[in-house]
Amino acid sequence: MADTLTRAARSHPAARGRLGASWVQRRDRRGVWFVVPFLLGFLLFMLVPLGYAVYTSLYTYRIIGGTSFTGAANYTQTLQSGEFWSGVIRVIIFAAIQIPVMLAIAFFFATVFDLGVAKFGTTFRTIFFIPFAVPAVVAAVMWSFLLEPQFGPFTRLAGALGFSGTNFFSPSLLLPIIIVIVIWEWTGYNMMILYTALKSVPRDVVEAAILDDTPLWKIIVRIKLPMVRSAIVMLIFLNTIGALQLFTEPQILASFYQGAVSLNYTPSVYIFNTAIAGDQTNLAAAMAVILALVIVAISAVSLVFRLRRGEIR
Amino acid sequence: MRPITSQMRPITSDKSPTSRRAGGRHARLTLGGIAAVAAVTGLAACSSGGSSTTAASSSAPAASSSATSASVSASASASASSSVTVEAGGSCSSSNAVKITFWAWVPGLGRAVNEFNSTHPGICVTQEDVGAGDPEYVAITDALKAGSGAPDVAEVEYDELPSFEVTKSVDNLVPYGANNYKSDFVPWAWSEVSQGSDVYAIPGDAGPMAFYYNSALLAKYHITPPTTWAQFATDAATLHSDDPSAYLTNFAAVDLQWIMSLMAQDNAWPFTYTGGSSVTINWTGPAQLAFAAYWQKMLSAHELNSTTDVSATSFADMDKSIDASWLSSAWGPSYFLPDAKSSLGDWRATALPQWTAGADVAANWGGSSYPVFAQSKHPAQAAEFAEWLNATTTSWNITKTAPSLLFPTYVPLLNDPSYKDLGNALSGTSDPNVAFTAAASHISSDEWPPFMTEALNEASTVFAGVQNGKETLQAAFTNFQNVLVSYAKAQGFTVNT
Repeated sequence: MADTLTRAARSHPAARGRLGASWVQRRDRRGVWFVVPFLLGFLLFMLVPLGYAVYTSLYTYRIIGGTSFTGAANYTQTLQSGEFWSGVIRVIIFAAIQIPVMLAIAFFFATVFDLGVAKFGTTFRTIFFIPFAVPAVVAAVMWSFLLEPQFGPFTRLAGALGFSGTNFFSPSLLLPIIIVIVIWEWTGYNMMILYTALKSVPRDVVEAAILDDTPLWKIIVRIKLPMVRSAIVMLIFLNTIGALQLFTEPQILASFYQGAVSLNYTPSVYIFNTAIAGDQTNLAAAMAVILALVIVAISAVSLVFRLRRGEIR
Repeated sequence: MRPITSQMRPITSDKSPTSRRAGGRHARLTLGGIAAVAAVTGLAACSSGGSSTTAASSSAPAASSSATSASVSASASASASSSVTVEAGGSCSSSNAVKITFWAWVPGLGRAVNEFNSTHPGICVTQEDVGAGDPEYVAITDALKAGSGAPDVAEVEYDELPSFEVTKSVDNLVPYGANNYKSDFVPWAWSEVSQGSDVYAIPGDAGPMAFYYNSALLAKYHITPPTTWAQFATDAATLHSDDPSAYLTNFAAVDLQWIMSLMAQDNAWPFTYTGGSSVTINWTGPAQLAFAAYWQKMLSAHELNSTTDVSATSFADMDKSIDASWLSSAWGPSYFLPDAKSSLGDWRATALPQWTAGADVAANWGGSSYPVFAQSKHPAQAAEFAEWLNATTTSWNITKTAPSLLFPTYVPLLNDPSYKDLGNALSGTSDPNVAFTAAASHISSDEWPPFMTEALNEASTVFAGVQNGKETLQAAFTNFQNVLVSYAKAQGFTVNT
């Protein structure tokens, strides 16, 4: 996602002007060879599938009648599909809750580590980062067992606290538990980025504030927070793009409790179910292209926003 | 993703070797779930190696970093599946034997495969487990689209078979002598695998249903097993008012196949399909809505438990005397057994309640058939194996035992008194198989539409509202009707309603 932003930045007129035509000449052409492995992968696993998806989306396979060219029919169907858009709305709600909560936690711990007030800071930083190193599938399976309605330790804990009969997979608790799982997975990663950003806040600014007897909370909220603003804005957009593609956690939870996760729970889950169980790969391809366009639109908004604020040039 | 050795298993199979088996139903419900996880993660390598004693040991598949990459064991032929475990065969003595690839997930089936290989030197069958139910169908569908990589023979549940018939992906077995075995099977099972004079698979196991109940608990509430559904409804109300924490039974709203089995017994089957491009979908006819109304009345009064069935939760409720009965299939008790403790010995089986007093209508829930795929280069040998596996006493004497524990559609075994006497710890000295084998001959054949994967997938969403009490069964039926009709039309079918 970061590359998407950088690439987009490069193609911006202003950026292009600055980089100029002399870019290739100025630099050693041998450098191109270092880029080739990435470009090859990008071509094979990004551009070719993307092109194939667009091509596929223009046809329709029917059990009776086989495959025929149907033009924009799959797109029209997707745009009119309440099931698809209700999934989009759900991931937007998810993002609206999950991202601010996660960033607040991440910023809090980044500050704690930045101030160096915690003992064994390095150790804890690593521990907080570990969930990010756990594959999402493994994390979702682990959480599913923890929250399992019959034997899950958290379910029994809830029972011991007086909430007997709690079913974390019930419709009202499902989205909250997915939010918790995703926060658990991603806080460490976001914390590391914010920690790095905080480390780059000039020391003299902070020292000046200390000499002026500024209280600690003011240093954090009034000085440090504004100075890592660009990092936070970047994280908001990266996390939003990730949230729109939410798939692994609901897909794994679905297999632990029948009927808990609807087949259109998120756009990606719906695309998967349409292609696999529904055997409508063409329709699914059109949905994927539309989802990609939504993500491109958000990336574009993010880019314009950040360019205006001068956060990237 | 890190490699995971084949010694690892999903937690559900740890309970018992029987928990992953052909009844098929279960496969989709709980293990299907785990298997779905497996398909996503590449964990499918952790298949239950029930046949390990005789099977060629399965080599640990290579780590696969994506769901679609193939990690095929050394002896497995090229296949388009996600992850494969070789369960049996793979090393045949004769090098010029015809090689047959066989996909199935029933634990312990490899014992029969090895027996076949040792008695048929000209044919070498390799059994691979590519996942229970859906993961296998997806792999087969992908291979069919790709034009190669499909197995010669595979385990396919009865409800899925028409999906392969409509695309002409399975061979007509009549030229290979299938009709010679017709009289060996209960007639309804033979209807499930044939269209007109064509036969597209050999029937395997089945799941005749019965009223499976905790006799001690019913006696406590002075209830005798209901013989009519009217009596059943009265008993449900009585029992729940006597003890608000207990229920006569559980209504598994998201288990479509279970609901459809009960609908079949009520003569309210919602589909008509005899091959070709025309299908009748009718979830909103008078019989269907009356069926829904019957159950909704009890659901609205909270007289039925609403957990999912064939699950740890429902088995715990049965064992803890919360659920007094289960409208179960013949394969049901073997799933429940590992979870039962305090209720051991109390469980009995008797015929399902009847809609008309004195009638004797039964129903089937689950089971698999064994088609030969059109891609097969050796259809005659493949058919010979499918016929031997399902229509010989030699084979059934293996597959009826643990860990396979298949319930037969094969008449000689159904009529065998020793099979009726086959009990288990749940029923003490009584013989539950008497009721199940009796039901096996009173079942009418079901006409499955050729899009059951989609129907099952949609059902988990459409019926979820019934499970959590937010929607009536009638509303769900109406909703489901619309979903299926628009799907069938989009797939080019002529739809009658």
